[in-house]
Amino acid sequence: MEHQDTMKDVAWAKINADVLRSLEKPRRIFWIVLAVCALLVLSGVVAEIYQYREGMGVALMNRPHYWQLYISNFVFWIGMSHSGTLLSAILLLTKADWRKPIYRFAEAMTLFSILTAAIYPIIHLGRVWNLYWILPYPDARTIWPNFRSPLLWDAAAITAYATSSALFLYIGMIPDLAICRDNAKGWRKKLYTALSMGWMGRAREWMAFRKTYILMACFLVPLAVSVHSIVASDFAMSIMPDWHITSFPLYFVAGALYSGCAAIITLFVMLRHIFKFEAYMTTEILDKTAKLTFAIAMAWNYLNLSEYASIWYSNDMYEKEVLLAKFFGPYAVIVWTMLLCATVAPFAMVFKKVRHSMWSMFILSLVLQLGMWLERFQIVSPPLASNHEPWTWAVVWPGAVQLIITLASFGWFTMLFLIFCKIFPSVSMYEVKEMVFHRRKASSRARLEDLSAIKEEVARAEEGLQ
Amino acid sequence: MALKRMLENWSRLRQRDYYKDAPYLWGLTIDLNKCIGCGACVAACYAENNVPVVGKEHCGRGHSMHWMRIERYWDEPDGKADIDQQDASDYPERGAHYIPMMCQQCNHAPCEPVCPVAATYHSPDGLNTQVYNRCIGSRYCGNNCPYKVRYFNFFNFWKDLPHPLEMQLNPDLTVRDKGIMEKCTFCVQRIRDAKDQANDEGHPEHVEDGSMQTACQQSCPTDAIVFGNLRDPKSQVSRLWEQHHVVLNRHEQDKSDDIRGYRVLEELNVEPCVMYLDRVRDVEV
Amino acid sequence: MRRRKKHLLFGIFEDFDSARDVVSSLKVLDLKEMVVDNIELYSPIEHPEVEEILGDFHQPIQRFTLFGALSGAIGAFLLAAAAAQAMFTVQPQGGKPVIPLPPNIVIAYEGAILIGVLATIAAFFIYAGLPRRLHKHYDNKVSIDQIGIEVQVLPENMHLVRAVFDSHQATEIREVVQ
Repeated sequence: MEHQDTMKDVAWAKINADVLRSLEKPRRIFWIVLAVCALLVLSGVVAEIYQYREGMGVALMNRPHYWQLYISNFVFWIGMSHSGTLLSAILLLTKADWRKPIYRFAEAMTLFSILTAAIYPIIHLGRVWNLYWILPYPDARTIWPNFRSPLLWDAAAITAYATSSALFLYIGMIPDLAICRDNAKGWRKKLYTALSMGWMGRAREWMAFRKTYILMACFLVPLAVSVHSIVASDFAMSIMPDWHITSFPLYFVAGALYSGCAAIITLFVMLRHIFKFEAYMTTEILDKTAKLTFAIAMAWNYLNLSEYASIWYSNDMYEKEVLLAKFFGPYAVIVWTMLLCATVAPFAMVFKKVRHSMWSMFILSLVLQLGMWLERFQIVSPPLASNHEPWTWAVVWPGAVQLIITLASFGWFTMLFLIFCKIFPSVSMYEVKEMVFHRRKASSRARLEDLSAIKEEVARAEEGLQ
Repeated sequence: MALKRMLENWSRLRQRDYYKDAPYLWGLTIDLNKCIGCGACVAACYAENNVPVVGKEHCGRGHSMHWMRIERYWDEPDGKADIDQQDASDYPERGAHYIPMMCQQCNHAPCEPVCPVAATYHSPDGLNTQVYNRCIGSRYCGNNCPYKVRYFNFFNFWKDLPHPLEMQLNPDLTVRDKGIMEKCTFCVQRIRDAKDQANDEGHPEHVEDGSMQTACQQSCPTDAIVFGNLRDPKSQVSRLWEQHHVVLNRHEQDKSDDIRGYRVLEELNVEPCVMYLDRVRDVEV
Repeated sequence: MRRRKKHLLFGIFEDFDSARDVVSSLKVLDLKEMVVDNIELYSPIEHPEVEEILGDFHQPIQRFTLFGALSGAIGAFLLAAAAAQAMFTVQPQGGKPVIPLPPNIVIAYEGAILIGVLATIAAFFIYAGLPRRLHKHYDNKVSIDQIGIEVQVLPENMHLVRAVFDSHQATEIREVVQ
């Protein structure tokens, strides 16, 4: 290894101090951003109340565009939620220790983006007030929800995913909450005492903790994959041309990981800058995350292009119509921008210079996310615009209400994330300590081996002398 | 006990051919040769089924609610619409095709399995039923309908009805609130009425052919629309289906000469109950 | 009958290696004179080796996981199947199977994971002995970088353990009576 391993020399007390400092009095910029986000959320609430009172028509959806931004945003946020928990779990199971400084905020990102995503199906419903009808509860009229519907699978998958990833985040945070408890005062002391549940770092606690954590990771990997493939079934199970595609589940999972990785990079650079986590969030980790993103981007590209190819060669008239409309029709701007942002742009990560620069990665990650957001829009809208029935073909762009609610969802996510960062440690202290411990041990072992080699050499030389 | 009932249910309900033993399977035939595109059926449907009239502005935004609609398609000779041609006469043949389009009451309806709350289901007499009270407005059915004949109440349209007009609403069925799907029901209120009448007359399993008409059929000036029971071999609609070799459970119909029957988008295998008779045109003239 | 008071000796050590030596000396002491009862180790990070030196903890969490996942899968499948069965009596869906397998498998899959995770977490709280009150002698240093060792010992043998702690450079030793 050429580059110097900085992680092994960090004092443990400094880790605590550094991370706990990030929970202290926020800077003014924090309050400004929080206020902007709160305003966005407020405007979204106003828009939703308006839509609730007047009817879905104010969102400017129509026939045949029964689904639009609400659904594409839903897919986007669900996708974003994927990387956090899935990557954290996969890297945990593969024992990749570079995950340790970044997984906490990635998991928080998962939880908050799924909380954002879960709002969309609710906003989207024509009769929100009857939302509870999709729950399987015994009804006097023996009417149950229809388990054949992919929307029900969605509901089941999102419930399981939101619960499990929240618990995964929480369980992984208990030792850190104990550290916070030991250093906090006032209301924070009470909060952390309650949340850490009397964690003292006893050996049996640690043993049970490790076992539980790994078992949960084993569940979360298949769960995350199933969640997005179920979201894909909302489309793939329909008979709409260009929705009814066999590779959609895989394509959605790849796309989810892609946009999620990009989001991790964005938040990585921001947190590193805001909280001065340079010692923990190193360029080495950024480099590895970028490489991973690149690999996933290529997988997504492959699936995207093979989807085009299979439609082209199948020569199915409905699907081909949609494909041509995508490239040359009214939504062509969206599709070409998407291809530029999500297919061409990731190739910048081939260069080491780009991977190692915080600024370039920050901008690139935003570009990738834009591309993936547009990708979700072009999955939902163009097939509806050129469906089976030519008489109903229509082009509709989302109205102001939908756009406001979309912006509000970004505000909502950022607001939750900011609040999280100020209440909970966004870098896992105990795992960074573990990382330091193991690296230090590894290097001292290496030094010992060096020493014994020298000793042997000396002994041999002495023998030679004699 | 419960188990016994469950097994009974299974053997009764798990029938491959829809509802093989049900006495009714409602079907429709539309002769495009006779259709002149006048739109009387559309008006009749609005009046019969309390379909909201949304006005020009909403119609332009695609919020119109016509359960029955006349689709127009135009011929494009030489790749150009006739209307643009220089030597067009005052009353040119512009090659208009009219297709009255309404819910096709598919036997393999794509809208049914996707509804999260089972608000749409298949009734034993072959109707694709929409339960307004149960609908929560997820609009998945509307997306999954290949004919796009499901209409969503984007607004509370009935509130816009000016005063005396609420008196002309049909009392046999409801007006629909905002946020729910609706669609053609084959005038289910009239079907129910006819069944009750047949019951009173002492033949409960048999509605006399022609004793009930759908609103569109009733108002069609050229009798292009024929409604009836496909299970009754003597009904007019059955005879038409037979005459044109259109058979359920087959998605490639006989296309030989003199046989004009087809069902729209048959290749999707949704098994619609509406047969169209192709228009015969003398293209040589 | 009054509960017998527990006498504990709590020592804090600089690093894990010395703590490990302490535990092995205590084990030796235990073999010779049978004075040590319960050794408890407090550490800021996980040390997988403690199981070797403190003995097997017997935490069959994975059994809970298996049981939870299985019952979740079966429960979810039965729920979906029963709902479909109940639906059929009021809303026949012509020509379709009464209990559709593919959707039910999806529901069962999600049920397995949800209940499996919840069972795992329940097992975690059971075997980790959480939630609980903090011990009075719990020291914040343990959450930073020190290792704490707590030994339950009879008052007359206290000096033996204290000697062991001293010989390994304990930074702090406390006697606690509970």
